[in-house]
Amino acid sequence: MKTASERYAALARLVEARTVTRATPPLLLPAGPYFDLAGEEFGRNLLLTTTNNGVEYCLRPDFTLPIAQDYIEQGLIGTPQAFTYLGPIFRQDKAVPVEFEQAGLELLGQPEPAAALDQVLTFARWALAIYDITAPNVRLGGVGLFEAFLEAADVPQVWRSRIRHRFGHPESLSRLMDRLANPEARVVGPAPDSRETVVEIVTDSMLAGGLGLIGSRTPEEIADRYLEKQALDAAPIAAETVGLIQEYLAISDTAQIAFERISTLCTASGFDFEQPLVQVRNHAAALQALSPDAELVFDASFSPRLDYYTGIVFEMTGIDGAVLASGGEYDRMLERLGATEPVNATGCALWVDRLEREATQ
Amino acid sequence: MTTLPGGLTLAVPSKGRLEEMTRKVFSNSRLTITRPGGARSYIGSIKNQPQVTVRFYPAAEIARELILGGIDIGVTGSDLIHEASETGEENVLFVRGLGFGEADVIVAVPDAWIDVQTMSDLADVASDFRARHGRWLRVATKYVNLTRRHFARHGIAEYRIVESAGATEAAPASGSADLIVDITSTGSTLAANQLRVLEDGLIMKSEANLIVSRTADWTPLRKAQLEALLSIMGGVPPGISTLL
Repeated sequence: MKTASERYAALARLVEARTVTRATPPLLLPAGPYFDLAGEEFGRNLLLTTTNNGVEYCLRPDFTLPIAQDYIEQGLIGTPQAFTYLGPIFRQDKAVPVEFEQAGLELLGQPEPAAALDQVLTFARWALAIYDITAPNVRLGGVGLFEAFLEAADVPQVWRSRIRHRFGHPESLSRLMDRLANPEARVVGPAPDSRETVVEIVTDSMLAGGLGLIGSRTPEEIADRYLEKQALDAAPIAAETVGLIQEYLAISDTAQIAFERISTLCTASGFDFEQPLVQVRNHAAALQALSPDAELVFDASFSPRLDYYTGIVFEMTGIDGAVLASGGEYDRMLERLGATEPVNATGCALWVDRLEREATQ
Repeated sequence: MTTLPGGLTLAVPSKGRLEEMTRKVFSNSRLTITRPGGARSYIGSIKNQPQVTVRFYPAAEIARELILGGIDIGVTGSDLIHEASETGEENVLFVRGLGFGEADVIVAVPDAWIDVQTMSDLADVASDFRARHGRWLRVATKYVNLTRRHFARHGIAEYRIVESAGATEAAPASGSADLIVDITSTGSTLAANQLRVLEDGLIMKSEANLIVSRTADWTPLRKAQLEALLSIMGGVPPGISTLL
């Protein structure tokens, strides 16, 4: 029988392996970058403190951001790096401050993104094994797959970005799908005016309201979106396409069956979707080989809320449904943080306290 | 928090129309609130109710103290309870609305944003705002918690809050924010500033409420005193203390 400290020591050895660099970002970090990257929704979970001149800092709420930021600042772009971490993070949940122990792996700038994801899954698998968890429930999602699906299903570009933007937020997405599915509910605007006329009207209105014409939304931007909305209402997505997207999003099943259902759905709708599916299938197979006893589910609508995730995402849960490990591909994050060229990124975070609870249950 | 075995603390807004109307509601029930030191004093009493201590606090502080259990009963806007803490409403009991201090907390955008009618439009605008302007969409408000909850409900994550202590409605014109979340009773301030409430932009309807703290230390004696006071006020079914 292993003890809690032996398990923790084993996890620390995994984090200090020779092939990786252990990162130790400070406990106190500027809060600005977190708000910039994740917005107010994540910001409400930060534990903030303010200097006398009003600059906000937060207790470290995660490791990924400072690691990614450091990668850019140290001029490491272009070099593959593997960072690990282990230590406390701090958040507030319903106004109660909570300290968690978190471990994880971040692979940045790897030449083979597919191999990187398998490495991350393997790392998570090993970490879980330290806590005697050999059959976690694994949920896979495909952010990239959904984007590819919208493209393959020939959803008009303007609608694609609107739908994609709501992916990972089931309530908001289903409201949009309802709106698309019920053409009666659509507001039909007045007859289209010329762009110049609309720009003029908006400009007058902005000046009357004392708004600056630069700095915030410009008259052209407002006019274009207004006309775009009219055009969208005039040319809605075909009802079959809306139905197809809804059917796709509803697929959540044992991985192999889910992939078959997606494949069948696409074939029935007259397009071929094998190419985008291959990668997800391979990762699922690799994962199943790692943990033959794991319950592996592919959920087509699963995505973290944060829009810098790009490819495949996953979470591993324990007996009571608590998330033990989560992660995936987040290629958009480094660009968001100011990287001058695309940097692929894959990683995962482990909730050590929950792993320990699982081990002793 | 009360150190005496019995006794109730009632908090009343310390100034303006809210104070005036609160005292009027109480005196209509023959509960005359006295403030012996005048507007500079922060402690008072109710005639013939020696067990009740009256404290005069700013309305926002009454909300915070009710949630923390520092006072037993208070009169304040329901919006302030929801704003004071994410768990504010779980920690208090709304006894009843008092029919004054009505106001709506709303989301308003510049009237010139003719393409934005609903929260869903706002979600679209927020999603590519940063790509277009190199910064987040900014919302000026003093209702940080209410804004975060309402925007989260509508799936909007891509924005920043600019905290505004006063004259929020001027923020879009001054360039410090793009839109606002604010309180309005007649809408005339919004109209004067060429702002328009979104169709589904009503976050909550608020009015002054008689509110009891759930987190205060409720002994059987104090519960009985609460029941007695509420029965004098009327309009409240007996037995409300059993919910504490």
